[in-house]
Amino acid sequence: MSARGTKKGGGTAKAPGSDDRQKREAQEKRLRAVWKSPSGWRYWTSVNNTDIGVWYASTAFMFMLFAGVLALMVRTQLAVPDNDFLSADVYNQAFTLHGTVMMFLFAVPIFEAFAIFVLPGMLGTRELPFPRLSAFGFWSFLLGGVFVCGSIFFGAAPNSGWFMYPPLATSEDAGIGADIWLLGLSFIEVASLAAAVELIVGIMKFRAPGMRINMMPLFAWYLLIVAGMILFAFPPLIAGDILFEAQRLLDWPFFDTSRGGDPILWQHLFWIFGHPEVYIVFLPAIALMAMIVPTFAQRPIVGYSWIVLAAVGTGFLSFGLWVHHMFATGLPTISLAFFSAASEAVAIPTGVQIFVFIATLLAGRVIFSVPMLFGAGGLAIFVIGGLTGVMVAIAPFDWQAHDTYFVVAHLHYVLIGGMLFPIVAGLYYYYPLIGGKLLSARLGKIAFWLMFVGFNVAFFPMHLTGLRGMPRRVFTYPEELGWDWLNLISTVGAFVFATGVLVVVFDAVRPKGKALDASRNPWNAGTMEWATPPSENWGMRSIPEVKSRYPLWEEKELLREIDEGRWYLPDAQEGRREALMTSVLDGEPQEVFRVPGTSYLAFICAMTLGGVFIAMTYHAWWLALISAVAFFVALMGWIWTGTGQIPEKNEKDVGRGLKLPLYVSGQPSAGWWAMFITMIGDGTAFGSLLFGYFFYWTIHEDYTAGLPGPGMVWPLVALGLFVAAWLIMIISKRLNSAGRVGLFRLALVASLLLTVAGSGAGLAGPWLYDMNPELHVYPAIVWTLVIWTVAHAGVGVIMQAFCLAGSFAGRLTPRYDKDIHNVVLFWHFMAVTAVFTFAVIGLFPRAL
Amino acid sequence: MQSALDPAGHEAAQVSHLFEAMVIGGAVIFTAMIGLLLYAVQDHKRRRTVSEEGAAKLILWGTVGTVAVLFVLLAVSLSVWSGLRQWDPEPGAPQLQISVTGEQFWWRVTYHPSDGQSVVTAANEIRIPVGQRVNFILNSADMIHSFWIPPLGGKMDMIPGRTNHLSLLATKPGVFRGVCAEFCGESHALMAFAAVAMEPADFDAWLAARANPSPAAAGGEGLQAFLRQGCSACHTINGTPAAGKVGPDLSHVGSRQSIGAGILPNTVETIARFIREPDMVKPGVMMPSYAMLPENEIQAIATYLKGLE
Amino acid sequence: MGFRILPKEVESLWTLFTAPVIWAVHFLVCYVWAAIYCAKKGPIDAGFPLLRGGIGAATIVALLLILLAAYLAWRQWGFGVVDPPHDQPDTRSRILFQGFATLLLSALSFVAVIFTALPALFLEACFP
Repeated sequence: MSARGTKKGGGTAKAPGSDDRQKREAQEKRLRAVWKSPSGWRYWTSVNNTDIGVWYASTAFMFMLFAGVLALMVRTQLAVPDNDFLSADVYNQAFTLHGTVMMFLFAVPIFEAFAIFVLPGMLGTRELPFPRLSAFGFWSFLLGGVFVCGSIFFGAAPNSGWFMYPPLATSEDAGIGADIWLLGLSFIEVASLAAAVELIVGIMKFRAPGMRINMMPLFAWYLLIVAGMILFAFPPLIAGDILFEAQRLLDWPFFDTSRGGDPILWQHLFWIFGHPEVYIVFLPAIALMAMIVPTFAQRPIVGYSWIVLAAVGTGFLSFGLWVHHMFATGLPTISLAFFSAASEAVAIPTGVQIFVFIATLLAGRVIFSVPMLFGAGGLAIFVIGGLTGVMVAIAPFDWQAHDTYFVVAHLHYVLIGGMLFPIVAGLYYYYPLIGGKLLSARLGKIAFWLMFVGFNVAFFPMHLTGLRGMPRRVFTYPEELGWDWLNLISTVGAFVFATGVLVVVFDAVRPKGKALDASRNPWNAGTMEWATPPSENWGMRSIPEVKSRYPLWEEKELLREIDEGRWYLPDAQEGRREALMTSVLDGEPQEVFRVPGTSYLAFICAMTLGGVFIAMTYHAWWLALISAVAFFVALMGWIWTGTGQIPEKNEKDVGRGLKLPLYVSGQPSAGWWAMFITMIGDGTAFGSLLFGYFFYWTIHEDYTAGLPGPGMVWPLVALGLFVAAWLIMIISKRLNSAGRVGLFRLALVASLLLTVAGSGAGLAGPWLYDMNPELHVYPAIVWTLVIWTVAHAGVGVIMQAFCLAGSFAGRLTPRYDKDIHNVVLFWHFMAVTAVFTFAVIGLFPRAL
Repeated sequence: MQSALDPAGHEAAQVSHLFEAMVIGGAVIFTAMIGLLLYAVQDHKRRRTVSEEGAAKLILWGTVGTVAVLFVLLAVSLSVWSGLRQWDPEPGAPQLQISVTGEQFWWRVTYHPSDGQSVVTAANEIRIPVGQRVNFILNSADMIHSFWIPPLGGKMDMIPGRTNHLSLLATKPGVFRGVCAEFCGESHALMAFAAVAMEPADFDAWLAARANPSPAAAGGEGLQAFLRQGCSACHTINGTPAAGKVGPDLSHVGSRQSIGAGILPNTVETIARFIREPDMVKPGVMMPSYAMLPENEIQAIATYLKGLE
Repeated sequence: MGFRILPKEVESLWTLFTAPVIWAVHFLVCYVWAAIYCAKKGPIDAGFPLLRGGIGAATIVALLLILLAAYLAWRQWGFGVVDPPHDQPDTRSRILFQGFATLLLSALSFVAVIFTALPALFLEACFP
């Protein structure tokens, strides 16, 4: 199978000479051409990870500055008692938007930005698996963010706190701001789930050959865990948003106690998201420290497995903490106590990381640098935040500290120490990879001290202010309570901190034309991202096989070999962008994966989907419909042209005598993984809605309030029809593989008809029994589950039609059958959804 | 007055002690960690390099130490916790119940004496006896509010559709300030109340007096103006025809520590101001403005109300 | 072609998560059981000791399962004959790494299960 010593591809090293060099130059020319970013206005249709990473990071930093200005406004208003710098209404919008923008438009996107930019190089590959998805995520984020931030200029910003508790946030008091908040969130949810898909598939399947999981850079371990967390944390928020919007738009009473609803459900769903969210934000920043510390200790990390423990442990435990945000809501003491215990426990893996960094430094030969300065300062701040976190984990103490400035102090200590300072460290560290220049060490030191001192002066007093009784979210306070000096000091500190931030911004954006170019690996780091020169777009000149955790330290010849194209995929003979897919555990090469190049479809999809959300916020239904149709068309175009392409040949020689297939379907394929991961997220959202159904049962003596249910018959009929549709899909896949194409197409049609029938039966139950969702939460939640199921059935039908069209168009054949594999995978999840929905609504609580 | 670090109640005192212990422990841990960190980041020319095994041991023992400290802390807290809010009074032991309903942006208060005396309705101020456990029954009429008297104990949310209980025991007499501690709308910052802890005998006398109308309720120009302007549609004054339930009960408003739900001192001037421009004093408030009334009418009503002791 | 939900190699990556998953299930069992019990029974009810007993039983089961997972991890780690770092580019190193990391996670999960169960030891009623 493997032809040795082919003349293309620079495989075995031949005698040096102009022959060899000419070949290399020809390769470089082709590589450069295929990886080129588009120019002119078309530049914005680029999908290169380096371009998108820079756009993402810049946009996130701009939103951070916007939110920072809002914070300064807040602090100015609070500098003296009974101040009138801001009215109550503007103040409430300012603090709400500050939190919302910082959490959703800065903290989450900034780590996505870093990951998109630096992860491929770090893993020893050229790109992430779905570049158009990254682009889509970015444009969605930009559109949503501009919308949310812009609202305050119209006095229409959300004003009920960044977690928007009903009934306040679902009432008229909240104004259109609440819908704008939901809108902004929807974009971020979409972008984050897209990022999760990319990161998991990229980290599991796109590593350099030989990069086994015990050799993977720790940043990759952390991001793998974080991506998994996103998959389980964001969907409950999506479910909550659906209920929230249904209440605002349709008056379905999910949080209205007069009709059986409960505002506590929102708090559960929000915080099941919200607590893991802060770890989703914290872990990637600490992951940057895991890359920075070894570089400046000039030795490998001490305690690699302990970091894996910490990342996985934190990831799991963080899902058991959410009720600690609800300690004052009157839930049973024993319930609260479980969450106190878990909140204490999570400090263990958190502390492990700090011990690992200290241990590595102790065993190393430390050299000073601005990244280490920010990193160490951040850790010091974070430790204080961690200690106060252990304090508020204890519910009786939290009963005093909750909703006071003590918590404001705690959350800023952990977020600024544990996230912002490491991100700034990462900015200084990775800056040379963007354009080949270094940031100024002198300005970096000044910025650090301004930020460090300013932050502590601003936030340390708040511990005292809070315990002296100052609640959160108050636009002013009276004189006699002993808070005056504390608040003034905090305000001064905030401005000092802001000055430090401005110094960093100034240094990052000022033109550096005259500055010296940074050397190729200015910090003498050991990991592979430093093998990607910023002057070229191709990432790695060739894809190496790695043999250690710090290849640039331990394999001295490696960089030269990569640059000379002596490794895999040094060329782009067919004019396509290519990367290697490798096995999960041991990094064995499995496939050549062709990543899509520049496309305007991702941009159009983001704008049209955005258009749908925006139009719906303003109740412009026709516009929403038109936008939705446009989105659908663009999406179909994207999928048809960008996935499941049949290659011109079965295999390709990737260099060094290795030949790999170009088309793989089923479990090892990237598309299958993407579908699997997406459906896990989707399934979690469904699970959250189901949780809502059972939650309402627990809080009511008489759940159905005497109202009619959907009966048993129609739901069970629907269940049967969906199961049948699913079974036929499985059969259809086998028919296709066996070459029985005609029967395959018939099976698709049959399954499609069964799906439509099942949807009808599913809707028939609530419809025929006159279940009115505006009346009470029971009919509302039943309708929600049914509509969710039918909407997914609609997606299933589109997928079946797509496969049918693909079969007729010759892109889905018995040999090239990725599409049907992925669609059948969707149908597994569809079956589970349908079974649970119809069994639950049909049998519970009736059968009890 | 509003400080959790200045306890005057059983729960606040326990928690304050726990907090002090945690601060000391935290300071020790912080000093050790930062000391280690500062030592570790020393430039390699200034200190010896620790061996890899030694460094790895730091991770192991640091983790074991963390587990031990957290375990002890958790066990101690759980044991303190279980003694805090006693719900189940000994049979036969009287317990005063006070129901408080949070509204935007004021407090509806009802006293349910345990000895069968009549119920007393009030607003915006809480009085309790020292040394006797009081059970607060907390509800909300609209948004989520939260009831908090820091010197006495922790807070409890007031959630519409749900009744929460908070048990507090004052250990010292005094005047404290309670606040709403859950963002509830535009004037959330302006929703507070005085909490007065009195000696038991004084409290009993006070409560008994409150069951009857104020001596000054009956007469005068002020009351006539009050009724004429329709104030009775929202407010109740015992001993007069005014029986509105929408707004705070004003039967004994003159004797409160403050008005406007804890935000203005209780004088004729401030009452007059509140009548004239409640929306300026408290943005988002439900009470309409009476700035169109002649000034002498406003003064008359304010003087009358201040007299309702 | 048998019916396999996941590729074999991914199954063996997922054994890393065995102990934390046991913790998660234990946590959910304790929390959901207590929440439904307290919601349906009312604040102070004579059945509370049964709940505490149930939590105790669930805890013992969880701890035993975690000990089993820890034993398997210890075995995968070669019974500790080789110390970390396991950073060599061969399958043996990779397996030792997996074993050690899984063992550490088992220890964390063991501790976390005990922490979760402690409330049942100290609290005697649903309270509010």
